Amino acid sequence: MDRDTAIGGPHDHFPSTRLSLLEAVSTGLPNEALEHVIALYWKPVYRFIRFKFRKDNEDAKDLTQSFFTSALQRDFFTRFDPAKASFRTYLRMAVERFAASRHAAQNRQKRGGDVQFEPIEDQAVTTESPEQVFEREWQRQLFALALDDLRAHCEASGKQLQLRIFEAYDLAAAERPSYADLAAQHGVAATSVTNYLAWARRTLRDLVTERLRGVTSGERELRQEMRRVWT
Amino acid sequence: MDLSDSVLDHLRHIAALPDLTGTRYDLEAEIGRGGMGVVYSARDRQLDRRVALKILDAALAGEARLIARLEHPAIVPIYETGTLPDGRAFYAMKLVAGARLDHYLARSPSMAERLRVVRRIGEALAYAHTTGAIHRDLKPQNVMVGEFGEVYVMDWGVDAVAGTPGFRAPETLLDQSSDIYSLGALLRFVLPAARLPALAAIAAKAMNAEPAARYPDATALLADIERFQEGLAVEAWSEPRWHQLRRFASRNAVLLWLLAAYAGVKFLLFFLWYL
Repeated sequence: MDRDTAIGGPHDHFPSTRLSLLEAVSTGLPNEALEHVIALYWKPVYRFIRFKFRKDNEDAKDLTQSFFTSALQRDFFTRFDPAKASFRTYLRMAVERFAASRHAAQNRQKRGGDVQFEPIEDQAVTTESPEQVFEREWQRQLFALALDDLRAHCEASGKQLQLRIFEAYDLAAAERPSYADLAAQHGVAATSVTNYLAWARRTLRDLVTERLRGVTSGERELRQEMRRVWT
Repeated sequence: MDLSDSVLDHLRHIAALPDLTGTRYDLEAEIGRGGMGVVYSARDRQLDRRVALKILDAALAGEARLIARLEHPAIVPIYETGTLPDGRAFYAMKLVAGARLDHYLARSPSMAERLRVVRRIGEALAYAHTTGAIHRDLKPQNVMVGEFGEVYVMDWGVDAVAGTPGFRAPETLLDQSSDIYSLGALLRFVLPAARLPALAAIAAKAMNAEPAARYPDATALLADIERFQEGLAVEAWSEPRWHQLRRFASRNAVLLWLLAAYAGVKFLLFFLWYL
């Protein structure tokens, strides 16, 4: 089985204070809005298509790309009604309709109507539904983007030490080092480690919130999504 | 770099932790959470004591101010309200050492003790209603019974709260009458499996689907419980004749025993006279 693609959305520049999705669209910036959406949703959409429709890597990438291209060409954002659902749900349902239609057409062409699914080895080791996979990937990508923002922010503001301590502690894949060990390793007081971690976590939280702001319709939806993200 | 599930879960957790920079508190541990906020234990450095900190969405800052106005022995006292650097609201309150009502009932307290707890809750509710406050989510998980029997009603009045099934009144818009419904549900909850019909009737009246048919206020409900405890007829129940007689006998047991003894002695003397 081929591995998942490493392609993601654009990770480059994001303003520190972001317009909400609807503000961006209403002020004539649909491309900017879409850029934020793609950055966060490319991978979740790709994974959702792979799991839901059992597509291989290339087909899933093509379908994902086609979906976003189609969204840009159509009035995708203006049809979004925040009173009916969150943007996350709206987008997932749109992907589902889009991919199902393409999938059915593809199978009609190939086999005169029979839908054949390819097995995906990932599905053998997870009990999650495609919708749960989508949400999980959405959270993963949200934090990955916010971490990129945090790194850029630390680089720009000369807070590399804070970043190194944060990465050593909060991104540790295995056992976390003690504050005393970190303090000795970086030549700072243990209280500084506490303060640096508190600063990095607060900044990360702000950056996650900023990322969410760009893909939600306003304060109400933003708060709802924040409650889903924080455990 | 893809984040592993464990790192992602950790990041979600730490991003949610309150940043207490600029406050007088040191975070200890999470002790509870509900739909509208998370409660942590913390240490107040200035007064060197432990407190409970509730962290709320910024939009719910009004809850903290509302609760801070409530001063009653059965309502957890609020020490301070404020805003965290990230904009979320918080309030510091007394850290109650005790058990949640549902856990407390697992110790099988007596009927009198169960009713004492319900009356304390009702008194807190009656007081809060005089200030215009509404609880909206009265349930066993929001009542604490302290080590010395003190009762505290917690988690007051959040507009966004939808209530808890089993304790929430059926009406769409919650008001003081909805709290009466929840108090009735709480009374039913604390009663043992073999319910006394008079108490079951009080709970049922409070939980009437039609708000106008419920008790007009918490005080009226408490008065009915008090009547039950004093052996009087309760408003909520049209008791059968045999039950009235049994209740009368129970209330006047001493008098009835004296009368019976008097009659017995008279009866005995009557026979002795003719022997």
